[in-house]
Amino acid sequence: MVNAIKGLFISCDVPMAQFIVNLNASMPASDKFILHMLDPTHMFVQPHVADMIRSKISEFRDQNSYEKPS
Amino acid sequence: MPQVMVVARNFMDMVAALPAAKLDMLYDSAFICEAVLRSLPPLAKKYALQMLYVSAPVAAAAMEEWVLDEYAAKHRVAIDRLLQLRVFVEVRDRRKEVSYKMNQKFQGNMQKYLVDGGSLPREPIPSSVTARLPTLAELESFALEQWECFLLQLINSSQVERGTSFSSSMMRTFQRGLLSSRDGEAPRLTENGFQFLLMETNAQLWYIMREYISSAEERGVDPTELISFLLELSFHTLGEAYSLNTLTDVQRNAIRDLAELGLVKLQQGRKDSWFIPTKLATNLSASLSDSSSNKEGFVVVETNFRMYAYSTSRLHCEILRLFSRVEYQLPNLIVGSITKESLYGAFENGITAEQIISFLQQNAHPRVADKIPAVPENVTDQIRLWETDRNRVDMILSHLYEDFPSKDMFDQCCDYARDHGCLLWEDAKKMRLIVRVEFHSEMREFLRRLR
Repeated sequence: MVNAIKGLFISCDVPMAQFIVNLNASMPASDKFILHMLDPTHMFVQPHVADMIRSKISEFRDQNSYEKPS
Repeated sequence: MPQVMVVARNFMDMVAALPAAKLDMLYDSAFICEAVLRSLPPLAKKYALQMLYVSAPVAAAAMEEWVLDEYAAKHRVAIDRLLQLRVFVEVRDRRKEVSYKMNQKFQGNMQKYLVDGGSLPREPIPSSVTARLPTLAELESFALEQWECFLLQLINSSQVERGTSFSSSMMRTFQRGLLSSRDGEAPRLTENGFQFLLMETNAQLWYIMREYISSAEERGVDPTELISFLLELSFHTLGEAYSLNTLTDVQRNAIRDLAELGLVKLQQGRKDSWFIPTKLATNLSASLSDSSSNKEGFVVVETNFRMYAYSTSRLHCEILRLFSRVEYQLPNLIVGSITKESLYGAFENGITAEQIISFLQQNAHPRVADKIPAVPENVTDQIRLWETDRNRVDMILSHLYEDFPSKDMFDQCCDYARDHGCLLWEDAKKMRLIVRVEFHSEMREFLRRLR
C-alpha cells in the first residue's frame, strides 16, 4: 500500500544544506525534523519547521555582519 | 520577495478599460481622439490613418496582407489595441467573415481635426489682463516644489513644515494603497508605497492620476468627464494663462486638486482668476516610454560603495535613506554609503534590488551618466547578490509517496505527476516520489483507480 507523508521539500545550495543538517543534529532526538536526505542539495523535512529554519538562517547571517557605529 | 509590483500603467490602458458607451462619449472631443491616436503603437497608428477616409468595412483577411508574414504578431497586437480602444469596430457579414470598420465618431472628429487643426474650448487670456505671468523656470520650480511637498508628506506626515493646503480627503484618495494607517498609529508606508517612491516622476504621476480617477466615482464625479478634461489639459500651451470662467464646476474642483499637486498654477487677477498649466500637465498624454525626463541626475556611486548625492532636496535625502546609510548632510551634498544592513532594511520593506539599481541609474549625475555603466558593476552585482542571499533556501510544501507495490505503478505515478507539472523529486531506486501538496488529492484518486 502506498504511503503518503506530508512535509516540506527543501532545495538549496550545499553549504546551506549542511547548515540544516547540523541544525538537525543539534536538536534533541524528539525534535529531529529531517525525514529524508535526498541528495547534497535536496531534503525532505517535517512541515512545521519552515519558520524555525528561516529564523536560524537569518541569525547565522547576522552573526557575520558588522555595523559601523554611527 | 514582494508579491505585488506597483505597475505604472499608461493612461490609455485606463481609457481602454472604460465601458463602450462611455468611450464613445469620450470620442466626442477631437482632442481625445488625437490623444488616443498618439498613444497607439506605430503599426496601429498607420492602420488608423489608412482607414481614416475609408467608409466601407475592410475584411480582416485583406488587412493581414498589409504586413509581411514574419510580423503577423505585431499586426495582431495593433489590431487588438485598436479594437480595445474601439477605434476599429468589428463587423460580421452574412458569411460570418470578420471585417473592420472605423468608429464613426472617431473618424468624423479626426477628419475635422486634420482639416481645421482643432481649437481648444478656451483661448489664453491676453497679457493685458494678466498682470505678470510666471516665467517657465518659475513654473518648473513651482511644479517641482508642489510635487516634492506631496511626496514628502507621503514619507513623514509629521515633519512637513509648510502647512499643507491639501484637503484631507484628497490626501486620503491620493495615498490610498500607498499608506496604511492603523488606528492610533501614524500612517506607515506600504510595500507599494516604497516602490512608488523609487519610480520615475512620470510613472508616479500616472499612478496618482489613476487613483484620482478611480476614486472619482466615490466622490460623485463622472470619471469620463475627468478623463476628457485631463486629456484636454495636456493640449494646452505650457505657460499660458487660461481663465477659470471657461470651466464647468466639475472641472473647477478638479483644477483645485491638480493645483495642489503642481500640475497647474492658480493665479488671481483683479477681476478674473486663471490657471497656468505646468510641464507636468502637458506631459499627461505622452506615453511612459516616450518621456525623456530632462531632470538632471544627482547621484554618484563609487566602486567603494560610497554615494554622493548633489542635492538640497529633503525628499532626495529621505529616498536615499530608504536604502543607504546617510552619513553626512552638507549644504549641497549628501554623503552616504550602501551597506548590507541598509539594503536588508530596504528589502524588508519590500523594495527590490532592481528598483534600487534602476533608481540609481536613472538619477545618475551628468558627470558619470555617460560612463558605461553609470553605476559600477561591482555595486550592482553586490546589491543583487545580497538580495538573493535572503532566499538561499527554497521550501515547498509537498507529499512524499513510498512503498509502491510495483515499479510499474511507480512509473505511472511519476508520469502522471510530471504531466501536471507537480513532480518535485523521484527516486527510482528507493521508489519514492515527492509531489506538490496541491496535487495530493488528485494523486490519491489516481492511485485508487490504478489499484
